[in-house]
Amino acid sequence: MANPTNAAEGRRQMFESFYSVIALVFILVACVELCDASTVVDVYRLIQYDIAGVPFGSRVASLNHHAGSSLFAPGSDLSRTVVIFPLSELNETFIREYIEQGKPLGGLLLLLPRIFHPDNSETVGGHGVSSDKENLKKILVNLEQKLIHSSIHYPVYFAFEDEDLDSVLADIKKNDAAGQPATATTGGYKLIVTSPTPKKLTSPTITNIQGWLPGLKGDGDSNQLPTIAIVASYDTFGAAPGLSVGSDSNGSGVVGLLEIARLFSILYSNPHTRGKYNLLFGLTSGGPYNYNGTHKWLRSFDQRLRESIDYAICLNSLGSGENGLWVHVSKPPENAYVKQIFEGLSDVAQELGLKVGLKHKKINISNSRVAWEHEQFSRLRVTAATVSGLSVAPNLLENTGGLSDNREFVSEDAVVQSVKLVAESLARHIYGQQGKKMEIFADNTSLGVNPFYIKSWLHLLSTTPRVAPFLSKDNPFIMALKKELADHVAEVNLQHDVLDGMFTFYDSTVATLQIYQVASVTFDLLLLLVLGSYLITLFSFLVITTRGVDDLISLFRRPPSRKAKAA
Amino acid sequence: MTMFHFFNCAILTFGPHAVYYSATPLSEYDTLGTSVKTAVVYLGTALVKLVCLATFLKVSESDSFDPSQELLKALIGFIDVAGLYFALTQLTHRNISQNHKFQAVGLGWAFADSVLHRLAPLWVGARGLEFTWDYILQGLEANANLMLSLSLAALGSLMWLRKNKPKTLIPIIYACAGIVATMPSITSYLRWGLKWHLPEVVGFQVLTSLTMALISWQLFSACQRPSSSA
Repeated sequence: MANPTNAAEGRRQMFESFYSVIALVFILVACVELCDASTVVDVYRLIQYDIAGVPFGSRVASLNHHAGSSLFAPGSDLSRTVVIFPLSELNETFIREYIEQGKPLGGLLLLLPRIFHPDNSETVGGHGVSSDKENLKKILVNLEQKLIHSSIHYPVYFAFEDEDLDSVLADIKKNDAAGQPATATTGGYKLIVTSPTPKKLTSPTITNIQGWLPGLKGDGDSNQLPTIAIVASYDTFGAAPGLSVGSDSNGSGVVGLLEIARLFSILYSNPHTRGKYNLLFGLTSGGPYNYNGTHKWLRSFDQRLRESIDYAICLNSLGSGENGLWVHVSKPPENAYVKQIFEGLSDVAQELGLKVGLKHKKINISNSRVAWEHEQFSRLRVTAATVSGLSVAPNLLENTGGLSDNREFVSEDAVVQSVKLVAESLARHIYGQQGKKMEIFADNTSLGVNPFYIKSWLHLLSTTPRVAPFLSKDNPFIMALKKELADHVAEVNLQHDVLDGMFTFYDSTVATLQIYQVASVTFDLLLLLVLGSYLITLFSFLVITTRGVDDLISLFRRPPSRKAKAA
Repeated sequence: MTMFHFFNCAILTFGPHAVYYSATPLSEYDTLGTSVKTAVVYLGTALVKLVCLATFLKVSESDSFDPSQELLKALIGFIDVAGLYFALTQLTHRNISQNHKFQAVGLGWAFADSVLHRLAPLWVGARGLEFTWDYILQGLEANANLMLSLSLAALGSLMWLRKNKPKTLIPIIYACAGIVATMPSITSYLRWGLKWHLPEVVGFQVLTSLTMALISWQLFSACQRPSSSA
């Protein structure tokens, strides 16, 4: 046998050199942080905002709890559970108790059917909308209104149904139905969203885009020509800012405006067909917030310009105008200008086989609510009307292009028809052809309304979330709109302004949800116990086979002597 | 909690090696040096194997099972045996009996294998929140591998170091050594060729290594008897 002190010395040295290598390896490996969740999904957070300091929406962003399903036992404590709810399973009691009454919940993950996904717009055209879809939409609209009008003290996220999530949910449901606690073998899931505390957005900006088509200059200055304004608000508001694409409200209006600008730019490029009116195109922001952008835009005009505006036509939700359009005005229908506008529209509508109705709603100056865009004009005594597919004035933050308003539910044909209606009546007014049966923008001519143009812009709008506070000044979308407008009309410029102080918004609207299948601590403890007994058995077995039973017993009997030996 | 799981799996993966060392007379005769040297030899062997694999094996894009390639892989796998031969015969061991020598070599071999192949995945994977059975199975695999390495070392020491062994046992020893040496290729065939699931493969490994360990043990003690009496 070797000299024991020598051997011990050598062993010590060897260990020391090994330790440094092992430490180095560990340091290297510890730097590797892998995302190894079984499922990773994009989730969209419920909007968080204040109106005049009063909190609304979901106030929390980070999430780290076990998952539960809709099958929870009534009355159980869910303050540490993230409940996953597919839209179709939502029930009245749950909404009332947990959303409106604010019962504590660990979190809420709402699964939306794929038809509500902004990228789902390739195959659809608005027709063939089944009653099932309509039903889902109704539920979603209802839910969205409740969510944005209550203050919720747990994180709420939206995700889209897919295979991974469905299988996870099926697992969780099986567990909940059996009434078992979540364990490794029965599929316990943990949902994690790491997100910093949402911060207030400092002074959200709104950007208005305006462009001119100058009329034919007579002998005098073109500024003296009367002006017709065509206006549409382009931004949206919805329960999930990352999903508020607003295909109908007001994507269809924006598309309509762009197409009208394109059509008239063709006419105005030829001196013979250039009208005696200036056309002013305005894409305004801040629509959901009482048309704050329109307000700012109009205030920026000088008095002369404002007075030169003959009338303004605001385009709103043209896509839902399948069953006819409504002309909303603030002045009584007997007013000469209103009459003129309405008659111009209804004449053309008759020819096109469309229905047009007139709705008069007085403005209450003391009420700050502005339901229609034209009301901002009317407040400044400019004649204006809103052409909309909606028949009733929406409430604040209603019909502003939320979750359910996407390409799936917008009829392209309705937009084409509406554009034709507005453009035709405008043209007749500009060229003084009222009451005459003549088609300027006839189909299949170079002046016809181009369905492909409308389709492609509708597609772009339906895939771009446009909640104004989250759009930066030089957002690519705004730049695209500006460029498109500049292609058709002259003097396009942007107007940046600050959204009026009543609204405050918070960031972190989109996040990544990680779903882990986890083992319970009890499982790990049990495993440790099993492993411990395995090692002890192995130890005893080896001692007995190689040294004999007596040795094993002596190990326990005389520990001090063994210590001395080891030293 | 995840650290907990990592420790559990680490205990399962590396615990048996430590237990084996401390429970058997290996600890009394201070054979750690031998084990460490074997581990170094293992590292060298692994390097040579890697170089060979990289040189001779085609990179297949698909996960399909290619018999010729697998055969080549199995042949390269036999480099292990060469390494073990080197560790058993060429290394200058301190004056320990053959009986302990093969155990020390097998232990060092298996431990180096576990550290090289299982520590990094364990550290990266088992610490995560996500629970899978994989790391527990991997720990069981390490146990099977320990038994297999020990049996191979035992058979190797019988083949190369012991001169006076019973003639009748020699073919059995060689056959067993052959089986043990091809075991990694067999398991890899089961896994990739026959598409067995991991639990099945690990179960197979544990069972076969247990039987092989028992057989080699019997062979070793059978060879021991005449020599001790002689």
